[in-house]
Amino acid sequence: MFLARVEGNVTATRKHPSFEGWRLVVCQPIARNGSPEGTPQVAIDGLGAGLHQRVVISSDGAAARKAVGDDRSPARWIIIGLVDEVTPGTTALEDAVP
Amino acid sequence: MRLGKVIGRVTLSAVISGLQGARWLVVSPCNRDHFPQGAAAPEGLSREPSLVVYDNLGGGVGDVIGFVEGREAAQPLEPVAAIDAINAALVDHVFHSPRR
Repeated sequence: MFLARVEGNVTATRKHPSFEGWRLVVCQPIARNGSPEGTPQVAIDGLGAGLHQRVVISSDGAAARKAVGDDRSPARWIIIGLVDEVTPGTTALEDAVP
Repeated sequence: MRLGKVIGRVTLSAVISGLQGARWLVVSPCNRDHFPQGAAAPEGLSREPSLVVYDNLGGGVGDVIGFVEGREAAQPLEPVAAIDAINAALVDHVFHSPRR
């Protein structure tokens, strides 16, 4: 599981049918102070995460398949929670002072 | 899944059972500095290593796709095959607003 920041979204007409109806959001993994780490991942979102909101994403495919209700889905990354705060030092939206 | 730009295709002369007739794409993954915006693919290539992706959606060179890596990539195939990256979405549009 990664701490990540929502930095956009993706639309795709042609996709695996299990993604139908799901938001596909661009999640940038971040460090505790908000600096980006690694490549952005596109995760499915059932919680309604907003732009630049911090979230926790999980790579558990079994859980993602259960969420979309399709045993044959390639879904892997899923937003499992919206961050309230990360202690020490950050709020839901503001980066920590370095 | 990650986003990537299709930069080529692969055809195989011999292939293990279960994967005959499959389409294979060469994909350059997008990173934060080389990310698609709108309907356009990013210019040039990112520094991420390219990879071969199984494709059953009909992606072509120049397209932006969403590809899934790992064990989950084999999940749509019956029986499960030797696949560790699959094209899961042909991307139409990307909105990306990185926070600096």
